[in-house]
Amino acid sequence: MQKSIKKITPYLFILPWIIGFLVFTLGPLIFSLIMSFYNWSLTGKPQFVGFGNYIEMFTRDKQFSKSLIISLKYAAVFVPLNMAIALFLAMLIAQPVKHTKIFRTIFYIPSVISGVAVSIIWSWILNSDYGILNYLLSLLGIKGPKWLVDPGYAILAVIIASAFGVGSMMLIFYTDIKGIPSTLYEAASLDGASSFRQFFSITLPLITPTLLFNLITSIISSFQQVTLVMLLTGGGPLKSTYFYGLYTYNNAFKHHKLGYASANAWVMFVIILILTMLVFKTSSSWVFYQSENAKNKKRRKP
Amino acid sequence: MKKKIAISCIALMCASMVLSACASGGNSSESKNGKVKVRFASWDVAEDIDKQQILVDKFNESHDDIEVVLEAYGRDFDTKISAGMGSKDAPDLMYMWNYPAYYEGLEPLDSYIEKEGEDFKKNYYSALWDYNSIEGNIYGMPVGFTTHALFYNKDLFEEAGVDLPGENFTWDDLRATAKTISEKTNAKGFAFQMKPDPYDFEMYLWSNGTAYCDGKGDMKGKIDSEGSQEVFKMFQDMAKEEIAAVTEGNGTDEFRAGQVAMYIYGSWSINSLNEDNMNYGITKLPNFGSKPSVSILSSSGIAMSKDSKNKDAAWEFMKYWTGEEANKARIGLELPVLETVIESEKIMDDSTYAPFYEMLKQSAGYTPASFIQKNWSEVSENLSLSFEEMFNPSTYRDVKETLEQAAQQ
Amino acid sequence: MHLSKKTKFIIYFILILFTIYFTAPFIYMVFSAFKTEAEAIAYPPKFLPSKWHFENFINAWNSQPFGTYLFNSVLVTVLTTLGQVISCSLVAYGFARFEFKGRDILFMILMATMMIPWDVTMIPQYMEINMFGWINTLKPLIVPAWFGSAYYIFLMRQFLLSVPKDFEEAARIDGANAFQIYLKVFMPILKPSLILVAVLNMITVWNDYLGPLIFLQERNKYTLALGLAAFKGVHSTKIIPMLCITIIMIIPPVLTFIFSGKHIVESTGGGVK
Repeated sequence: MQKSIKKITPYLFILPWIIGFLVFTLGPLIFSLIMSFYNWSLTGKPQFVGFGNYIEMFTRDKQFSKSLIISLKYAAVFVPLNMAIALFLAMLIAQPVKHTKIFRTIFYIPSVISGVAVSIIWSWILNSDYGILNYLLSLLGIKGPKWLVDPGYAILAVIIASAFGVGSMMLIFYTDIKGIPSTLYEAASLDGASSFRQFFSITLPLITPTLLFNLITSIISSFQQVTLVMLLTGGGPLKSTYFYGLYTYNNAFKHHKLGYASANAWVMFVIILILTMLVFKTSSSWVFYQSENAKNKKRRKP
Repeated sequence: MKKKIAISCIALMCASMVLSACASGGNSSESKNGKVKVRFASWDVAEDIDKQQILVDKFNESHDDIEVVLEAYGRDFDTKISAGMGSKDAPDLMYMWNYPAYYEGLEPLDSYIEKEGEDFKKNYYSALWDYNSIEGNIYGMPVGFTTHALFYNKDLFEEAGVDLPGENFTWDDLRATAKTISEKTNAKGFAFQMKPDPYDFEMYLWSNGTAYCDGKGDMKGKIDSEGSQEVFKMFQDMAKEEIAAVTEGNGTDEFRAGQVAMYIYGSWSINSLNEDNMNYGITKLPNFGSKPSVSILSSSGIAMSKDSKNKDAAWEFMKYWTGEEANKARIGLELPVLETVIESEKIMDDSTYAPFYEMLKQSAGYTPASFIQKNWSEVSENLSLSFEEMFNPSTYRDVKETLEQAAQQ
Repeated sequence: MHLSKKTKFIIYFILILFTIYFTAPFIYMVFSAFKTEAEAIAYPPKFLPSKWHFENFINAWNSQPFGTYLFNSVLVTVLTTLGQVISCSLVAYGFARFEFKGRDILFMILMATMMIPWDVTMIPQYMEINMFGWINTLKPLIVPAWFGSAYYIFLMRQFLLSVPKDFEEAARIDGANAFQIYLKVFMPILKPSLILVAVLNMITVWNDYLGPLIFLQERNKYTLALGLAAFKGVHSTKIIPMLCITIIMIIPPVLTFIFSGKHIVESTGGGVK
């Protein structure tokens, strides 16, 4: 009796999620997978087209690969940049200097502002002819770039505006850093290690689990980025910020090709899944979990 | 062990109890007091919704058996309607303009209209019916409309010492005026959108005797015709000569800020211009010389979901919502669509509103490409990109080449 | 830890640089909220309002039934946060501190649920919620949170994996069962990350408007975020009231943050790692 209870104990712990998954998530997921094999125009009857949507996507729809490349590029720049800023800020506000409380709040506030307002404010700031940023630059005698008009700058504008909401990630790092016992640093200081050295030999290894978390979740969110580009650039100029997330959204709600959009989403799913698997595979060599100490090194968790 | 299970159970039970307590009411088509419930979705915002709510309340008070519930979704109206239609649970009534995209989910209204007798239909401006119909069937009752007109800033005209636009204002006149204003003031003479909605832009092609496509939807020989090239070339040249600003938005902000002296838009911005106490005027669209200018019509109608369970009650409300009383009450929110209301309220004497009706009169008989092309939303997306290539200062792509390529698509 | 004067200076300098990036748009937004609409879009731009229109805030608040919206928002936020903290910590504990059959596959499924965008699951979700009869109620916004969200489960799991193994072994020798260990040993040391989950969930739910948009119908059920989005129309946006409500909406999360931020700091130093 005792033994069988022990066996089911872990399942009891994860039971809430399993129920939730079965009741709320699984059905819609399967539905969208099935729909990806249909032509469904919202109001009409869905028609079965087999792999038609997928074939269309890979052979005829040029926007598919364009949007995919834009999103990959964005992720390649945004993910590391955002993480670096978040970690950097978290380190700063964790320092034993005065007023960190104020800075902590200041860095956090932007992430609380609703996306709609953020996009309006940034479109005012970044407007190339009548925006405040280029106005201030012109006072300094600099002709500012045409942020939201020049395709070369638009993606930069999106990155600037989206890094504004870095506060949540900063908070995750901060919580983790604050959990590191100060005795570790004190010992290192006694040994004469510089702050720089302490960061790489104490802080960084100890926060690798949250580093992994932030890496994976920001890969996912950068592929699903819709709201900001929709409101700030509308995918332009010249479709230079027509992100994959926006492409899927427009196929679903602008063109009412719901089956096709489902196929878009499932291709995105496979891409994200592969990326995540790769990250998890490599993570065993750089993520350091303290629950797996010397006794227990045989099998590493993903 | 038992304790653990017990605690988890209690926690979950508490949760669900709190939850069911906090949320009451359901989604039935009958409301609690036995009245038939009719859902009505609007796309308007903030205070405008309050005005509509007052009208809805009035209707509910005078009907014992029907309760209309107003739902407001603003910019996300389309997402909400799509979700509703896809799940066969759309609102019974909804505002509608994009009939080609939604008509398969809507109830044809011809039989309802016939029952009301001959004269019922006549009171509406006839041009409006075409914009609320698909393939000869009426899917929506006209609620409001706007045409496009030319807005001009009188102060800037005075500063530059140029005449205000007259009765027969041509595009050549506009260019000359814009040039003078751009030279003599800090503002640009004219403004147009870098990325215009192709639906709106077709009016310039109409005005110059062409269109996006022929009656069968074939674009070759139409969008790349000489008349069409002339139009795009003219806009591009104005931008290149820096007598026109190419705006990232619709141009209203730049106009309000006094940065541009003229721009073309619908009646949507009138309220905010009045709030600013701006010294502005509105006139008909400029013409290309030989014939009167033509405007696109942006109509708003009220449509019924074909899945509605209370169609008769819904129709009752539609009649109220498009009737004289409601038309009068919405003045300032919408341009009225009933000829009797235009007359009794002396709308044509108001120099702000009159140009939109004048444009309506001279714009009858044109069918937008969105009603011809089967897959307009995709065609429109491609056209939009082509237009942007011609108007974006970082490309200014050659007009002939771009249009010929667009015709291939 | 002691820092040299030079390092301190550099830290302050960089802090100020970032402060400008993070605050300038925000302050610009706050000042704009006090302007008339004409002044807010004027060019050349003015930074300070020529006259402070405090009534903007009152007008904005009265333009929609925001009192009702506030009540709904608070209800949804509090109940989901409670649900997320309880369920996510349980599930994460299960995934992090046990070896069991199918764990890695189940965890991969959990991760996978984050990777499908909402646009394509929205309609089937609507149908399902409609089947439950929950449309136009707050239930679909609250109930799923009591079954854990993948994002927070993953986050909690990472924190739990950082706790050395010997932590529960001592308790196990004392005869405590798995649930007691979870409750008495792990929850206290994980307080900072529980607060973190609560804070993150609060921001997300507070600002979420897609859920409310899809599942709610009548205006007396709306949340603040949905009311805020309703200032943006198809052809025009009521910018000033929108900014005012945005600013009002920032206050509760920030106050909670300032309060909870203290707890993140205070409850650490116990030596989790």
